[in-house]
Amino acid sequence: MKLRGGYNILLKGRPNSEEEVLCDPEILYLPLQSPRFNFSELCVEDGQQVAQGQILAKDPDNFFVPLLAPRVGTVRLQSVESHIVLENIEQKSEEAIADSKEISVQEKSAESKRKKLLDYGAWQFFYDAFEQSLPDPAKAPQAIILSILRLEPFGINGDAIVQNNLPDFIAGLEKLQSLIEYQPVYLVMPDTKSELTRYVREKIKGKAWVEFMEVPLRYPFDNFTVLARSLGLKRGSENPVWGIRAEGLLAVNKVLSNSQPYTERIISFAGPGVKIPKHLKTVPGYPIDQLISDRVTCEETRVINGGILTGETVTKKTKGIDSECSRFTVLCEHTEREFMGFAMPGFGKHSYSNSFMSLVRRKFRENITTDLRGEQRPCVACGFCEEVCPAGIMPHFIHKLLYQNELEEVEKHRIDLCVGCGLCSFVCPSKLELGKQFSDAHDLIREELHPQSSEPEE
Amino acid sequence: MKFLLKIFDKNRHHFEEGGKLRLFKPVFDATENFHFSPATRTIFAPHLRDPLDVKRFMSTVIVALAPCVLLAVYFFGLRVLAVIFVSYAAGGIIEVLFAVVRKEEINEGFLVTGLLFPLILPPAIPLWMVAVGVMFGVLVGKELFGGTGRNLFNPALVGRCFLAIAYPKAMSSNWINPVLEFPGRMTQYVTSLNTDAISAATPLALAKQGNWAGIPNLLFGNVSGSIGETSAIAIIAGGIFLLFTRVANWRTVVGTLGSFAALGFVMHLANPQIFGPVVWHLLAGGLLFGAFFMATDPVSSPITNGGKWIYGTIIGVVTLLIRNLTGYVEGVMFAILLGNIAAPILDEIIVKIRLRKLKNER
Repeated sequence: MKLRGGYNILLKGRPNSEEEVLCDPEILYLPLQSPRFNFSELCVEDGQQVAQGQILAKDPDNFFVPLLAPRVGTVRLQSVESHIVLENIEQKSEEAIADSKEISVQEKSAESKRKKLLDYGAWQFFYDAFEQSLPDPAKAPQAIILSILRLEPFGINGDAIVQNNLPDFIAGLEKLQSLIEYQPVYLVMPDTKSELTRYVREKIKGKAWVEFMEVPLRYPFDNFTVLARSLGLKRGSENPVWGIRAEGLLAVNKVLSNSQPYTERIISFAGPGVKIPKHLKTVPGYPIDQLISDRVTCEETRVINGGILTGETVTKKTKGIDSECSRFTVLCEHTEREFMGFAMPGFGKHSYSNSFMSLVRRKFRENITTDLRGEQRPCVACGFCEEVCPAGIMPHFIHKLLYQNELEEVEKHRIDLCVGCGLCSFVCPSKLELGKQFSDAHDLIREELHPQSSEPEE
Repeated sequence: MKFLLKIFDKNRHHFEEGGKLRLFKPVFDATENFHFSPATRTIFAPHLRDPLDVKRFMSTVIVALAPCVLLAVYFFGLRVLAVIFVSYAAGGIIEVLFAVVRKEEINEGFLVTGLLFPLILPPAIPLWMVAVGVMFGVLVGKELFGGTGRNLFNPALVGRCFLAIAYPKAMSSNWINPVLEFPGRMTQYVTSLNTDAISAATPLALAKQGNWAGIPNLLFGNVSGSIGETSAIAIIAGGIFLLFTRVANWRTVVGTLGSFAALGFVMHLANPQIFGPVVWHLLAGGLLFGAFFMATDPVSSPITNGGKWIYGTIIGVVTLLIRNLTGYVEGVMFAILLGNIAAPILDEIIVKIRLRKLKNER
């Protein structure tokens, strides 16, 4: 299967490659929920003094993936709902690292190394390429996809990370190989010829198990499911396909070479609502209020945990950066109503269609708000959603079938192939919430048509 | 424009639930949102959206039709504007009525139907017929199917088809002779009583008697015919704009014109005496207008790309066959309506094939 569909949104607020190291705050708020995990099993008590890297809680549904203490501090369990609060943060020091785990540095087997990654907080950078979930560390994969691309506005600039950490990146590749036996590692690079790609190619020449995969720089060709399908890898096999990104590889390298828990995070803080979009080096639990203050441009903003097309709005309830977070995107909320907007030439508006005068301008990045930019209407069958769909399904047909409540037909139209990239909703001139409808329908199909497969006990 | 927004804000409560004028909420909303883009924000991911909305989509079509309208006013006089006005007014009543009863928004799609319809009528047609035709078209062609996005046929063509069957004489006689010399008929208001200006037949009808209009005339549009269909240049200019903006799909247009040209070429070779040259047939009558503006209506044409090719081919071939082998002088209208009928079936076939391929995707 070839890569198909896709579309790039030229949006203001792309992060530059600069990396700002944030000072440690006084207090850390560690959310117990993150997009994939729910750290429901607490391992510490209220008031307990914890060391850096000590396990605070685990997620029993995800192979007991741990929530690590990013710094030395005192635990408060009750003070904020569904957060572990760390008070009296001690400034970072190299010696204050927990060595509670008795795993020797010399362990050989791939499986024990994966176990080590899990305990030391690097396993969470691995994704099951088809399910987007955490893969089972006990199972060997059929292949690994290592991508340095982040094409959704805006993610960590993989190029910048690789560039800034070239030796670690190359060393990390070796470490990655030691986690598996003979399975291939697909290194996904942009199809543009740059100094960096040439250098990386040069460096990995002798490594036969690394296969290059060049991908056009178009969203969502960095999506693991899209990549795995285009490589012809099979879903639902006994052995999963792992997906991992550049920052994950650095974490793997760090854990396996130093045997230290990985508690640092590089996040990108970008979007049209950010004054100076850049990368931030920080720790999970960093207070979001503190992060946002002084860094945003408008009064009313929407802070999104994740990219602009797939991320979730950060609510007031979430006080700190969760342990999975790799990017915050900030948008200004829509307030100004445009006069006769539909009839204006639109020199400043990019569109998937060619119906705005922005075409005559040179390439530029647009300042977009949370404006729905139109009213909801019935589908006019323009077919744009099908053109941009990277999964090769027909969103407009599925929408029609959902309207008629034909769940079985919807399943036949392969709604399960949807990767949730959000492009169909983005381009829809009728402003239909296609992406949301599809994820809801997918859940409904699992509940109503296949109740036994989701609950294996029955 | 702040003051206008204030007026809207001040009067909104009349139209809300419990207000005196709540029945007319769709009218108020439409007026407000026509002037000011709505204040709606995204709720779910994706958090931002493409600027194209249905209003822009439909106004692009209107912009593309502007050259046709301007040249029609030049050649056929001010009455063209009256016909357009009546079409909008009468059709608008039906549209608003249904929006009020259904408690739904007024759909912008009508702005296109209301302009397309007069452009395919003879210029001297009685105004009451325009009103009857557009009301029938909107009511039967669109609203009874459930409104915009759910109609099977192109509403403008349904209206015209109704008139052609109900009033065949008026629909085949009210042609106006165009005036080329400046200022054309721009200062005149020609009705069917003005016998000097009224022409008996369109180029296609004359061609049946062996009288072929010159190609330059067909290109420029100074021949008699329906209001918007005479000037090939204006239609092609608007049509290319429409294809370029991607509001209309090129597959339908290429399918229609390509199949028409291919079959026309063969027929002309077989018997040049009866069947005119391909280029002449391409430019004459309503073919170009139909191919660019009527067949491409996304709602009533197939959605799948494969379906669009076949649909275009059906329209091209049927048009040529009706023109040359039947008693009718023009066949575009019937051809497109036939294509509309075929569209759902074409889609179903193409989707079946697609699904068979998708079935094995992992």
